[in-house]
Amino acid sequence: MLLKKLLNKIYYLILGHFTVFKHSFKRAVTVEYPEKKVKLPERFRGKHVWNSNECVGCKICEKVCPVNAIHINKVEDNFEMQIELSKCIFCGNCQYSCLKHAIKMSNDFELAVLNKNDLNLNITSNEKKIEAKND
Amino acid sequence: MTDIMKINVGPQHPSTHGVLRLITELDGEKIISIKPEIGYLHRGLEKLAESKTYLQYLPLVDRVDYLGGFFTSYAFCNAVEHLLNIQTTKRTEYIRTLCMELNRIASHLLWLGTYMLDLGASSPIFYTFRERESILALFEELTGQRMMYNYFTFGGVRFDVDNNWLDKVNDFLNILPKAIGNYEKIITNNAIFIDRTKNKGILTKSFCSKYAITGPNMRASGLEIDFRQKMPYSAYNELGFVVSVNNLSDSYGRYLVRIQEMRTSIDLIKQCIMFLKQNKDNVSCNINPIKLKIPQGEYTSYVESSRGLLCCYIQSDGSEKPYRVKWRTGSFYAVQVLPELVIGQNYNDLIAIFGSLDVILPEVDR
Ligand code: SF4
Ligand code: SF4
Repeated sequence: MLLKKLLNKIYYLILGHFTVFKHSFKRAVTVEYPEKKVKLPERFRGKHVWNSNECVGCKICEKVCPVNAIHINKVEDNFEMQIELSKCIFCGNCQYSCLKHAIKMSNDFELAVLNKNDLNLNITSNEKKIEAKND
Repeated sequence: MTDIMKINVGPQHPSTHGVLRLITELDGEKIISIKPEIGYLHRGLEKLAESKTYLQYLPLVDRVDYLGGFFTSYAFCNAVEHLLNIQTTKRTEYIRTLCMELNRIASHLLWLGTYMLDLGASSPIFYTFRERESILALFEELTGQRMMYNYFTFGGVRFDVDNNWLDKVNDFLNILPKAIGNYEKIITNNAIFIDRTKNKGILTKSFCSKYAITGPNMRASGLEIDFRQKMPYSAYNELGFVVSVNNLSDSYGRYLVRIQEMRTSIDLIKQCIMFLKQNKDNVSCNINPIKLKIPQGEYTSYVESSRGLLCCYIQSDGSEKPYRVKWRTGSFYAVQVLPELVIGQNYNDLIAIFGSLDVILPEVDR
């Protein structure tokens, strides 16, 4: 009985190592970030892109945000969006609730900055700014 | 008789699956008393609800159990729908069921990997994470995020599923049984694994009823209670499945139940896919979630989550914000029963038994 158990243990030790060994010939499932990146799906919720021309200033996005991270202010005859990305939980409520589809969440997920204040975005005529950053 | 030694396991212990502190008293290697200290991951999710509107609270609900976001989301949405008295379409319910079952597989896979790690086997976690990753990629494509989905809404879901996505799920389901077979090949009859799990942490039927244990832990004690079958919600009354149950009552039994449940989930998802491919319908209701006011009343919804019975109680006073939200989660009770299982056991079995209960701390503390 004891011997049988011992043999069983040895068998499974070998089997375990063999399984690991077998895997060393398989294709890697991980990606070597940051050199290579995975393709993100369309609906991915990253940093916000806001189209000031579409926005009508209804402030629905402010109301639905669970953490009060987003603010729309009127400046002169246009709107300005303030967003605190350090607060944002990327839930997408603002994007889903905006009736004018002025807010879109982009594929940009690399938000590391050296200065925390850089995460407080103040976007006026947003399109150009975001595009410039993405380039 | 040696001196009694008091040690703290956790809260920063990697095997406590979060931040649980176990104040343990040892006589040599033997555990003579143990006291779980919870609360390190308390985020006040119940109190927070009272200061948020229903729509604002919806994304936070996923965080009650971050390994089973769809279950908590469903419980909350379901309660709100009942209070509003709205009927969801069949397609919505099938999509929700599909998501929840995929979530159950993902959650059990993570449990399997980490449990093996608890027992000292370090390679299975890579295999289970590989499969779990495929599920998360599917979720990401559907909902936009890997864990905090914010996908179910009041009366529907945010996006309809398309055949392309369903095909991808189907492809994944075709490789999963083989993967589960491979895990079983190196684990189920392994004498080292059996040594550490057989007859360890016996959870008797009386403990189950005394401590209100539910889910796979209870089903491994021979109690055939599955809320998906007993009180069918969502689309479960139209789906056929066999409840996995066994009489072993020990850690090994709990392992077998979870493996079996993954297989059951595969069956259920296949049935859902078949329905979704044939029946097209709306997936949202005509309500405006932004100005949602819920009539006075209260309701408790229940879901069979991967860790047991999950309940969401909402009391509304007719305003935009809930008056009270209460969560009942399976893990909380599993932590309470731990002293009964480990007192008198060897110290090295503590984590082996605790891991088998599949406790995750965010669910305990909320
Ligand atoms: S919800 Fe849309 S349209 Fe309204 S203020 Fe926000 S961004 Fe502008
Ligand atoms: S994604 Fe969510 S948290 Fe972030 S700004 Fe929009 S609503 Fe607020």
